[in-house]
Amino acid sequence: MNTSTAESLPLGTTAHYATMHKWLQRALLVCLTVLVLEASFTLPGLLIWFGWPTLSLVQVCDELMKVRYSDDNAQCLVPQPLFIASEGQAYKKSAQDDWGIQPRPRYKRIGYRDLVRFRDERLAREAAAAQHRGQLVPASADTTPAEPASPTH
Amino acid sequence: MSTLAQKPPGSFGGYDAHQDHSAQAQKRADKWMIPGTLLMGTGILGIIGFPLFLWGLRLQVNAAKAGLSVRPVIVTLIGYLVIIDSTLNSAGWMMDLVANHTLINRLITAGWGAVFDGGYFWHYNEIWVGGTGAPGEKAWQISLIMVVFCGRMAAGIGLLQMKRWGQQWLIVFCWMGLIVWIGYNLNMTFYGDVRYANITFPVWGWWIYDIFYITPFLAIPYLHTVNREIFSD
Repeated sequence: MNTSTAESLPLGTTAHYATMHKWLQRALLVCLTVLVLEASFTLPGLLIWFGWPTLSLVQVCDELMKVRYSDDNAQCLVPQPLFIASEGQAYKKSAQDDWGIQPRPRYKRIGYRDLVRFRDERLAREAAAAQHRGQLVPASADTTPAEPASPTH
Repeated sequence: MSTLAQKPPGSFGGYDAHQDHSAQAQKRADKWMIPGTLLMGTGILGIIGFPLFLWGLRLQVNAAKAGLSVRPVIVTLIGYLVIIDSTLNSAGWMMDLVANHTLINRLITAGWGAVFDGGYFWHYNEIWVGGTGAPGEKAWQISLIMVVFCGRMAAGIGLLQMKRWGQQWLIVFCWMGLIVWIGYNLNMTFYGDVRYANITFPVWGWWIYDIFYITPFLAIPYLHTVNREIFSD
């Protein structure tokens, strides 16, 4: 039972709407608190989720580009030069999508610290490829010094 | 501090002094709440602005308890919160609109897109103006910043000044929020694959963010049921 008197009500609130105003005020305080917390912690939260401080900010940006355009060569230009085409123009052909009236992206879903893992895996792939090339190159190089030895025959 | 003795003859004496003390108390509280709101409107600095705002709110509540005529707490909350709601939306969208190739934007906006809303990750920074490439999104950004959020901020300031026009225009701009929510959410739904496929927290993650922007809807029932005589012409 509402026992409040007109004297105890806030200015502008009539007894009939006192309960509604009280709950609206509580909900407004909750919204304010959560909005502030969300807005304050979104950037640091995202960076930690992606892989900072293991990755630098520019590296996080790079890795996001590589995921977005499904292209290991995609990278963030920091700073982006003025008056050049939007960065995505250079990579749009590599982006993976199911095209239709409602397109569906097929990029990789980014889980906790996945950008660190994606980067490590890419670097490992590149190292393996370089090693593979290195094995091929010395193999041909080995034949070269071997030839001068042949005159002993 | 004005007292009855200092009042010139012909004034309303105690009434004028009470009015002066009330205005001073309100101003003292607003001096904390305004910078608090400006900081909260930036987003990341909100954690600094929040205590400033709460301190100002406490000063206002104490002034009311002391018998001074200050704004009702709910009017203060609605006024400042619609301003924060508008500045947070406008700041994020203005970055996407005009600062879309900065490092900070590519981290927070495209990053947020990868986790909560694919509209800000899918082919991001590919259209000629840069920023989001999601169908319809640019049109929403420009129209809402220019019409709804600017107007809502102005109305919020009028409400905080206890002006009748502030209450009336805030009703108008809060009802506009209904069109915004229905239109925006339907656009997101019809392009649901772009917005939610292969992102980290699809749908529910976005709603966790969005649901706390319902301030305009909380304001509507109050603005329609408050005794409008408390707002001056």
